[in-house]
Amino acid sequence: MEFLSLITPLFLALVVGGTFVGIIFGAIPGMTATMAVAVCLPLTYSLGLENGLALLLGLYVGGISGGLVPAVLLGIPGTPSSITTTFDGYPMAQRGEGEKALRIGITSSFVGGTISLFALYFFAPTLADFAIEFSYVEKFLIILFALTVMAALSKDMLMGIFSGFLGIFIALIGTYDISDGGNGNLRLVPPGTEYWLDSGFSLLPVLIGLFGLAAILDEAELGVPKGQSREDVKIGSGSTFSFSVFKGQAVNLIRSSGIGTFVGILPGVGGSAASILAYSNAKTFSKTPETFGTGEPAGLMASESGNNGLTGGALVPLLSLGIPGDSTTALLIGAFTLQGIQVGPLFIGNNPETWNAMIFAMLIANVAMFAMMYVAIRYFALVVTIPKHVLFPIILMMCVIGAYTINYGIMFDVWTLLIFGLFGWVAVKLGLEVAPFIIGFILGPSAEIYFVKSLESFGDLTIFFTKSWIAAVLWVLIIGSLIASVYMSKRQRKLETRSS
Amino acid sequence: MDSLTQVTIDFDRSHLIFPTLIGSILVLLSLAIIAKRRHKLAEAGAYWGQITGHMDKPRFFGTLALTVLYFSLMVPVGDIWPNTGLGFLICSIPYVFATGVLFMHERTLKQMLVMLVISVFAPALVWWLFTEIFFLTLP
Repeated sequence: MEFLSLITPLFLALVVGGTFVGIIFGAIPGMTATMAVAVCLPLTYSLGLENGLALLLGLYVGGISGGLVPAVLLGIPGTPSSITTTFDGYPMAQRGEGEKALRIGITSSFVGGTISLFALYFFAPTLADFAIEFSYVEKFLIILFALTVMAALSKDMLMGIFSGFLGIFIALIGTYDISDGGNGNLRLVPPGTEYWLDSGFSLLPVLIGLFGLAAILDEAELGVPKGQSREDVKIGSGSTFSFSVFKGQAVNLIRSSGIGTFVGILPGVGGSAASILAYSNAKTFSKTPETFGTGEPAGLMASESGNNGLTGGALVPLLSLGIPGDSTTALLIGAFTLQGIQVGPLFIGNNPETWNAMIFAMLIANVAMFAMMYVAIRYFALVVTIPKHVLFPIILMMCVIGAYTINYGIMFDVWTLLIFGLFGWVAVKLGLEVAPFIIGFILGPSAEIYFVKSLESFGDLTIFFTKSWIAAVLWVLIIGSLIASVYMSKRQRKLETRSS
Repeated sequence: MDSLTQVTIDFDRSHLIFPTLIGSILVLLSLAIIAKRRHKLAEAGAYWGQITGHMDKPRFFGTLALTVLYFSLMVPVGDIWPNTGLGFLICSIPYVFATGVLFMHERTLKQMLVMLVISVFAPALVWWLFTEIFFLTLP
């Protein structure tokens, strides 16, 4: 209970404030939980680890939850994870049940977030205890597995794998660090750029560029679509909400939350996959599947409990293996790095107070999200009317601060933000996948150390297959994920051919 | 067979092992992608033409131009008053205003005045927060 000393009024204010700001970010179409975390990251520089995490976790939970507001009221998903919320939430709003739909979504989000939090609390330490025994060989294979899973779940497996390896390649730019056992020599640095690229590209400017600037460039490309007017917001006046709507939906809620949590645990798989899987399962098991898509509350429950189930799940691989579960948790790695903490199997055991404070922050964030949105949903609904021409310039300015202050004032980091903002915009057009790229970029340097040191120690390539039974199991999983991806893509093609 | 899998690492050249391996994998993947998508690659010109055709060019390129200008001026302006963060503040005000006006759809006098107030207030608040409260370095 020593962690209770960390729970100060400031800590609580940061969780609640972060959740509030996160809901606003999530509620504005085009802005995401990832962007909220990226923009607010510089605020954590002076806050210390626990307080900084309190703010970021609040933003994360709020950002994922806020996406349901425009999904229900406008039929536009506020975040990618709310796509399936539009299927039943918007039809409900169109028939005057906007407020009821929102409250169903809020309650389901709370259930999903809380169930995934329990999974995080009990599962992450067990996985970490198991992973402590891993040698460099198993650690390298875990990274390889993370990349293949992400690639397998990408739109195009080949492009997914390419994106992951490209991320690793770019992360290798700079010095082979002596502190990690390297020889201190430069590589992949073009002549004349040694001064700037000696340490390679910093992680946070890359992330802020990819998730902040690139998103705004996307909007600028589309002409910064005009914001919504109050008349567009169909909150509905006659709709009444009662918790009795959840009668008979316990299985749906628990199953969808479980799916969301499981998807979160898979590295690099976003909230959209969580809600789509949860929704399609709810439809499959429903006695009235034909009502899905016409304003069926069960569909809304599945979607929202599924995407909030992701929040706890995505923290499992981050805190037990050091592998981010999604793009937002990738940014949390940046927050840990800022405070000089390395996440991995030893994190929970060595930092029990921080671990408990994180769990507590997530719990408070879920409660705060539920309370704020349930009570003040009519006001949050108006967030979608905030004009983007006001928000985007301020976000761009905050991106600059985040990039500039990360290394205590290096202008090259600001240019990095621009380079990767442009790259993020072009990458999507080229069919590259940003999530595998980011995970590759984050894990690239570790993958190198594990790979080279394994070879230095054993001097034989077969060690990656023969080191232990865990290595053998990991190879089965790696090959299995690739085979499953090829099978799924062939099946998808067959279905498309049949339907056309 | 054993000798085929055995590897000796020369520490002085160990910084090149992994980049070479990853680079080779990227080349192989690129070839596979080119082979798989050769039809799409042949239509790349039309594809990009379509993107640029539908693009809101003033807003997109305007954002880029203003951002490059903003980044370029911040340090020289900041060097006039070193260690105060004024380079950030002085450059952010016109940048926020200009991008705000660029993104605006109906440029009425009232809207412009609101944007002007925001573009002074927001950077000033952020500058005060980061330099006076958080003691962070700004350009």
